[in-house]
Amino acid sequence: MTEPVPKAKTGVTRRLSNALAAFLVVQSLAAVFFVGDVIGDLMADPGSIHFITEALVTLVLVMGVVFGAVALRRTVEQMRAQQTALAAASGALAQVIDRQFAAWGLTPAERDVGFLALKGLDVAEIAALREAAQGTVRAQLTRIYAKAGVSGRAQFAAFFVEDLLGQGLPVDPA
Amino acid sequence: MAAPFRTQADEAGAVQPVRLWDPVVRLTHWGIALVVLANAVLTEGGSRIHVWAGWAGLALLLLRLVWGLVGTAEARFSAFPPDPAAALRHLMLLARGRVEEHPGHNPAGAAMAYALWAMLAVLTASGIWMTGGKSPMQLDAQRAAVAAGDWSVMVAEDRDDDDKALGDAVEEVHEVAGNLILFLVLLHLGGVVAESRALRRNLVLPMLFGPRE
Repeated sequence: MTEPVPKAKTGVTRRLSNALAAFLVVQSLAAVFFVGDVIGDLMADPGSIHFITEALVTLVLVMGVVFGAVALRRTVEQMRAQQTALAAASGALAQVIDRQFAAWGLTPAERDVGFLALKGLDVAEIAALREAAQGTVRAQLTRIYAKAGVSGRAQFAAFFVEDLLGQGLPVDPA
Repeated sequence: MAAPFRTQADEAGAVQPVRLWDPVVRLTHWGIALVVLANAVLTEGGSRIHVWAGWAGLALLLLRLVWGLVGTAEARFSAFPPDPAAALRHLMLLARGRVEEHPGHNPAGAAMAYALWAMLAVLTASGIWMTGGKSPMQLDAQRAAVAAGDWSVMVAEDRDDDDKALGDAVEEVHEVAGNLILFLVLLHLGGVVAESRALRRNLVLPMLFGPRE
């Protein structure tokens, strides 16, 4: 049920957060070694230009680690919110389609074929999936279009897309 | 939720999916595991690589502690406050094979995490004491100076008897803490195996690869 486009999108966010985490680890390693060095210099010669410069650089590095961690937390949370919203949206759409199919009085077989048609499969693919003759599938599609009162596949798909665009036909099965 | 036993999540209704674990938790977990294994088994105590690895472990520990303050919900300390009583209760349930689902750390796992972090802090602190508080870079510079025939850097290292006794004590602490960590790691592995069997799912995979797509 996972749509290809959003999945690729979350994959990108996932890779991004992994890369950010790896970068954060390297940054912390650098920061700790620097802090160690600065403390050593502090014991040796506080007040020298070398120490002050190094202390400043280290401070910035440590701040970078903390800010990086906060940014990464936001990225991970954003990724999770995206996934949750996506799951909710695809679940809601499936529900809308299901109710509409019921309202049109589609038989279970017709609902299956209707779903597959909405997913973009052609007659041959639907026939292969359902282990049915292409003629059967074609007849089922014709009956679906008739019950839905649409002219063909394009209008059939548009019926649901229109809903998503916000000015849809009334879905309420009355 | 095809679990054969009832869990809290089942009774509460829909369980919020928690996607374990985030990349920082995973990287610091395995990084520290690697450092502990390397410094316990592979590197020679007090050697150059032992000190470098120890500092790397300290960096990973500090990053994890920062992440415990600003990180993801399940990584933050507030999500798993130390609670020994709850940890014991959880272990008793586990012994009977009736564990509850927890969204992140279970109470026993949380206790293990705090114990390991405390021991790692003791270990790195004593280790840094033993090297005179010098960073690996400074130790390298000192070694290079000695190798070049400049023994003067060693003069400051001379300590009186009191200091020597203290140094021996710190060395003892370092050794005991190291062994204690290995013991805790074994307990941790046992706990993961027992918990995985009780929950009938592999708890290692999320720590390795993160949430399933």
